[in-house]
Amino acid sequence: MREKLPQMTITRCYLCATPLPNKLTWCKLLTQTKAPVVCEKCLRKFEPVTCQQQKYKDVTAIYHYNEPMKDFLHQYKFMRDVVLSKVFREQISQHLKDEKATIVPIPMHPEKLKERTFAHIDELLNAANIPFTHLLEKKLPTTQSSKSKREREQSDQLFRLKQHVTIEKIHYVLVDDIITTGTTIRHAKSLLLEAGAEKVTAFTLIQG
Amino acid sequence: MHFKLNKSQPLKNLYVPHHLINDQLRDFLMGRLWLYEHLPFLKETIHQHIKMGYIQTIPGIRMIPTTHKLFSNKKYICNRCHNENPEFFAHFNCAKCQQICVYCRHCIKMGRVSNCSSLVKWIGPQRKNLSSYHPKLNRSHLFRWKGVFTPQQQKASEELIDSVKKNLVHLLHAVCGSGKTEILFPVVAECLMQHKRVCVATPRTDVVLELAPRFQKVFPNIFIQALYGGATVEKRYSPLIIATTHQLYRFEEVFDVVIVDEADAFPYTFDETLQQAVEKAKKPDAPILYVTATPSDELKEKVEKLKGGYSFIPRRYHGHPLLVPRYVSLFNYQKQITKGKIPKKLRDWTSLRLTNEEPFLLFFPTIELMEKAVPLFQKLHPAIEAVHADDPNRKEKVAALREKKVPGLLTTTILERGVTIPKVQVAIVGAESGIFTASALIQIGGRVGRSADCPTGDLVFFHHGITFEMDEARKEIMMLNDMEVLM
Repeated sequence: MREKLPQMTITRCYLCATPLPNKLTWCKLLTQTKAPVVCEKCLRKFEPVTCQQQKYKDVTAIYHYNEPMKDFLHQYKFMRDVVLSKVFREQISQHLKDEKATIVPIPMHPEKLKERTFAHIDELLNAANIPFTHLLEKKLPTTQSSKSKREREQSDQLFRLKQHVTIEKIHYVLVDDIITTGTTIRHAKSLLLEAGAEKVTAFTLIQG
Repeated sequence: MHFKLNKSQPLKNLYVPHHLINDQLRDFLMGRLWLYEHLPFLKETIHQHIKMGYIQTIPGIRMIPTTHKLFSNKKYICNRCHNENPEFFAHFNCAKCQQICVYCRHCIKMGRVSNCSSLVKWIGPQRKNLSSYHPKLNRSHLFRWKGVFTPQQQKASEELIDSVKKNLVHLLHAVCGSGKTEILFPVVAECLMQHKRVCVATPRTDVVLELAPRFQKVFPNIFIQALYGGATVEKRYSPLIIATTHQLYRFEEVFDVVIVDEADAFPYTFDETLQQAVEKAKKPDAPILYVTATPSDELKEKVEKLKGGYSFIPRRYHGHPLLVPRYVSLFNYQKQITKGKIPKKLRDWTSLRLTNEEPFLLFFPTIELMEKAVPLFQKLHPAIEAVHADDPNRKEKVAALREKKVPGLLTTTILERGVTIPKVQVAIVGAESGIFTASALIQIGGRVGRSADCPTGDLVFFHHGITFEMDEARKEIMMLNDMEVLM
């Protein structure tokens, strides 16, 4: 049985708590664009990545890892402020809504998931209303951010395929929050290609 | 050995196996309300103490039915910060408790409090008082202060001690530069002598950073814990805690005296949960001492209603009057600065400070305007800097001004209080802006002429029209200066 939950409305910026202007416009009413959850001032602090600035081949990143982005990721992932998954929902949706390929989020180890209480990549996609399929599993609960660059590059395959899944000869798009050295994406990509995928590209929110 | 404690059964009647208690854990947790998962102790140790009944766990969030006649609904309350504003709660599908979980976003910076996380507090035997080891605490060992009070300071200090004895709320209304912190020393010493636990709370981190070393110098033989966002917390008992009011969310019914310094500063007056936090952190009948140069009418009324004590010091410790502000019109300053030009009167004022080699502070109403002005002022002198609330180098820049490495600083209201710079000259650009309330203007004016060897200076309000608040501030300053004082 589910209890009736107290109602919550978004009236303040999720990042700086200033009240948000809540005007109902024709555009909003007709096009179903979701109301922003942060104020324009906060949103302007994030620095978008242009086409020329993309560091990795076959990887699309949308933001640079600047100070406000560091604070954002810290509050989202480590302070576990789940609602922040909505901050970039418009931007993520714009990039992925017309994607014909199958979206595959980078998974979390079940132990880690219990500790964090939510899967941060899944939540980002949920907030943007993008359907996805889990095909991979993490082998060990260790995190990439705890390793040095060299350790990352030398590590064994981080992932394995989930049981009872079949990889078709189609295009897959991997989704992660941040790309720093590219190791995570490389491991997942090679695993999918070996299992028979035709093409694997990636999408990340941030480029480190 | 297991103990089950009933509420009706007072603790002291039980046999308490003291050897089983982890002293460090007790000293740390006594009076605190801490997130279980953030306790800096081994899980086994904590569990053992929970089993023995020395640590109580309570859920992070509780839900209460609202008592509305028409709509019976439920609302959440955060058990740590007591926030009940629905805007600051969020739901999510929790992977830990496998259901919909709610958490408080209001105090999330201190670690997330959710439905399925628990808060812990110490309910076991209290720490033995020092008195059992040292029946007579040596006053000179505890308290090392060799200053001399003016008659007014002496009177205020005695009045504070008197109010604490009677458990009465007290308001110390003392103008900027009257030696407020020193006046607090004797009353704090008195409380510590009686093994009371004291907290000096203030809304500003800067003030904590300035107060903590001053108190430590005067009380060299006790451990003083300074608490603010990002402070290192030691696993020790501290009889004197100097903290931001935010940190008091993490305490419950523990302090025998709470001193609220700069009681009118943002965000304390603005955020009701902070005021509740002070009430929650102190023992129910413990007195609160408010200290400020610019008490609001609400605060005065509140103290009066509770029949509390009141001390008033209208004169600075060096006996010289407060600076009376000059009004200088600076019409369309916003437009000119946006166009890349410093208005002439403002430029002349700054140049004069630079040639006289006097340090100066220029207050701006907004960060945006200040950032536009920084490059323009740097053309006058390349070392001029700007500070605002989010500036990580704020402390260093203010220190640089004090050491004359920087000729002057542009600032927002963040430096309106708690800053002492010898011989500083002050100007406010856009004194008519809403952010500069009468009390803010008085506080800013209080930066000038603080030291005894240089009690004068220049205080200018550059404005685009005179406001009621500006007149109010000037009237108040002149009234204070006209007051008869016992010397």
